[in-house]
Amino acid sequence: MTVQGLRTVTSAQNGAGAFILQCKRLDLHYNLQGASSHGLRTFVQTLLPKFARQYPQIEFRVSPTPKKHPVVRGHYINGREKPICVRNMQPNEILKKVILLKEASGEKNRRQSKPVRSLNESVRGIWSPYHGDLRGV
Amino acid sequence: MAAIITGPKRPWLTLPFLLPSWTDSLVLGSRRHQSSYRRTKQRLRVKPDASFGSSAERQDHIIYNPPSSAPNVYHTPTKFLPPDDVRRAMRPEEPVKQDVESLPGVFKKVYEKKYHLNPSDIEEIRKLRLEDPMKWSRHKLAKRFDCSPMFVAMVCEASQQKKEIQKQVLEAVQSRWGAKRRMAREDRQLRREAWGRDM
Amino acid sequence: MKRLQLQRWSNSVLSTRARTGSHLQHHLYNAVRRQSSTAAAVQPEFSTGEAEHETFEEIKLKTILRRTHSRPNQLKYPSPPTHAAHESAKLAALHARLYLPSRLPYETLARTLVDASADQDPNFNNESLSTLGHDLLTYYTSEHLICTYPRLPLSVIFASMYAYVGPKTLTAMTREWGVEHASSPGGEVDPGLLQFQRLAPGTELQEKEDGPRPYQSQPHWRKTVTSKIFYDNEFGDTAKTAAEGVSADQASATFVRAVMSAIYLHAGRPAAKRFFQQHFLSRHLNMAELFNFEQPTRDLTRLCARENFERPVAKVIAETGRKSRHPVFVVGIFSGQDKLGEGQGASLSEARERAAVAALKGWYLYSPLNVRLPSAMEEDEAAPWKPVHVDLGEVIV
Repeated sequence: MTVQGLRTVTSAQNGAGAFILQCKRLDLHYNLQGASSHGLRTFVQTLLPKFARQYPQIEFRVSPTPKKHPVVRGHYINGREKPICVRNMQPNEILKKVILLKEASGEKNRRQSKPVRSLNESVRGIWSPYHGDLRGV
Repeated sequence: MAAIITGPKRPWLTLPFLLPSWTDSLVLGSRRHQSSYRRTKQRLRVKPDASFGSSAERQDHIIYNPPSSAPNVYHTPTKFLPPDDVRRAMRPEEPVKQDVESLPGVFKKVYEKKYHLNPSDIEEIRKLRLEDPMKWSRHKLAKRFDCSPMFVAMVCEASQQKKEIQKQVLEAVQSRWGAKRRMAREDRQLRREAWGRDM
Repeated sequence: MKRLQLQRWSNSVLSTRARTGSHLQHHLYNAVRRQSSTAAAVQPEFSTGEAEHETFEEIKLKTILRRTHSRPNQLKYPSPPTHAAHESAKLAALHARLYLPSRLPYETLARTLVDASADQDPNFNNESLSTLGHDLLTYYTSEHLICTYPRLPLSVIFASMYAYVGPKTLTAMTREWGVEHASSPGGEVDPGLLQFQRLAPGTELQEKEDGPRPYQSQPHWRKTVTSKIFYDNEFGDTAKTAAEGVSADQASATFVRAVMSAIYLHAGRPAAKRFFQQHFLSRHLNMAELFNFEQPTRDLTRLCARENFERPVAKVIAETGRKSRHPVFVVGIFSGQDKLGEGQGASLSEARERAAVAALKGWYLYSPLNVRLPSAMEEDEAAPWKPVHVDLGEVIV
C-alpha cells in the first residue's frame, strides 16, 4: 500500500455551522419559608415563565430545599456545573445571575491573552527565515 | 560612499535605523535633533514595497506579495492543475529567480538509468544469488552487472537460509547494544516514520 | 426521578396504551380500540365497518398492537410510552437546542433515542430510522469528499469518511448536543435520555462469521483496498457484533443517524441537507493530516512517469550549518523548471522525503473551483449538470 489514511475525529466549531447553547439545565432551589429565598420565590412566580419561554433550549428544574439558602445552578454540556447563591437578592438581581449562567460556556474562567483563537491555520503561514526575498529598502 | 549620500532626493542616511552599525559613528556627527513634527512625519514616510504596484498600473490589479513562509500544500502547483482548470491562466508567470540547473543537487553523483540488462542477465543474477548467497551479495552482483543494489533487490530475493543467517547476525550485533544505543536507534526509526506523516 | 414518574403514570398505565408514533398508526390504533370495545358485545367480523376494508398491513399492525396491549405488566415496557414524550422537559430542550423543525414531532425524537437493544420492537426503536440516516450521511459525505477532492486515494477517503461520520465523531456530537445516557432502559425512563442495553464490561466484539468475504477463515490474508470497497463498510472496517447489548459509541451513532433521517422524513430533503451542512460539514478537519506515505519519493517518480512530467529531481534551495550539530536543509523537488514541493529537515534525506510528501499532497489535495454536488440536481429548477472532475486514481507502484 503506497499511502495509508490516518484516522482522526473532526473537531467541533460551535457557531461555525449550528450554534448550540452550552447551558443545558438550570436548577433553582429555594426555601419555602426562609426570608432569604423571598427574592427567588418571587422570581419563579413573575420573571421565570417569560425567561423559560425565551430559552426553550434550557431545561428548568424548580425544587424546594428546606433549611438552605436559595441556589441557582447551571449545568453545562461539558459536564461542569456552576452554582450561584442568590440569598437576599431581588428578582431583578437574580435575573442578571440567571442570564450570566445562561451565557456561560461552563469552562473555568481563564485569562484570554489572544483576541482570536482559531483552528484554521494562518493564511500567510508561519514565518520562515529560508523563504521570501531579502528586501532592500 | 559620498556619491550615494548626495545622490537621492531624500538621502537614506537620514534614516539612521536602516544603516548598518558601522555607520553609527559616521551619522552621529551630522545628527540633528528632531525639532519639528513635520520632519518626524517626513522620516516615517517610507515608500511602500514595489510589489504594491507602481504608478504605471492604471487598472485594478492583484497585488502578489508571496509570504515568507513554507508553501502550503493546499496550493496546488501549476503543473499539477488539470488542463481545463481556470487557475492555470489566472496564475501570473512567476519570474525565474534562479535557474534550477544551477541549484546544487542532494546527491553528490546522479546516476543515469541505463536499461542495459536483458532477460538472460537477470536470469543469471537470480541463479548466482541462489547458488552462493555468501559470495554473491547484492552489492557484488550490482558491481558485476553494473546496476544498482536496489535493482538486484527488485529482481531477485535471497534464499530462506541466507535470510536466517542475516537475521542471526543482526541479532548478534544488537545484543551488544546497551540501553542508550538501543533507545537512540528506536527513536531514529520513529522519527523516520514521522517523515511520511509530515509531522 | 424514576419513582416520581411511576406515580404519575399509575392511572395511565391501567388504561389502554397509545405508544404509536405516526399519524397512520395513531389512526389505526383508534380504529382498533373502537373495534375491540364493540367486539365484546357483538361479533366483530360482521358488526364493525372498519373490518371490511382492512388491508393486509392493517391486520399486521393490529396484531402488533394487540401484542403490546396484552403484555402482562405494563410497567415492564422496554421503552417509555408515546405520551411521555410531551411531558419530558429534556426532550423539548433537546428539540429546541438543535433547532429542529417544528414539523418533527416530539414522539419521533423520543423514538430516535431508543436503541434496538433497549426495545426489540421495530415499531418503537430507532433501527429503521438509523438505517436510512446512515445511508443519507454516507451519501452526503462521500459526494462532498469525492467532488471537492477528486484525487484523494481510497485509503484517505476511508479515513476522512471516518472522521466526518465515524462512530467516534457521532459519539462526540451526541455529547456536544447535551444528550445524556439512561443507566438502564425501561418504560419509566425519561424519554429525553438515550436508552440502550449496555455491553457487559470486558466483552470483546467479534467479527461476523457469516460475512460476505470469501476465505474469512484465513485472517492473516491480506485485505486489499478493493476488497474493502466490496465487502466492508464505508470506513473499510469489517462489521463486528456482540452477543448482547451495544457500546455507548454504537448507541450514540445510531441516535445521530436516526435524528438525520427523522428530519429527512418529517421536514424534507432541504432541511436534512441544511442540518448536514450545519452539524457535520461545519466541523473542522485538516485533510493534509490524514496521509501517511511509506515511500514518497518512489510514489512521486511513478506519478510523474504516469502523467508524462519530467523526472523529479531534488535540489537544495537553502541550507545552514551543514557541519554543525543542528543543520537545516531546505530541499525542493523540481520537475523541469517547475517546483512541485518543498520540505525542510535536519538531514538531506529528511528534507528530500518531506519535499516529496509535500509534492504528493499537492497532487492529491487538488480541489476544483465552484464544486457542485450531484445531490444539488435533486432540487427543483436546478441548473443543468456539468460533469465534475474525475481523476485517474491514486499512484499504483
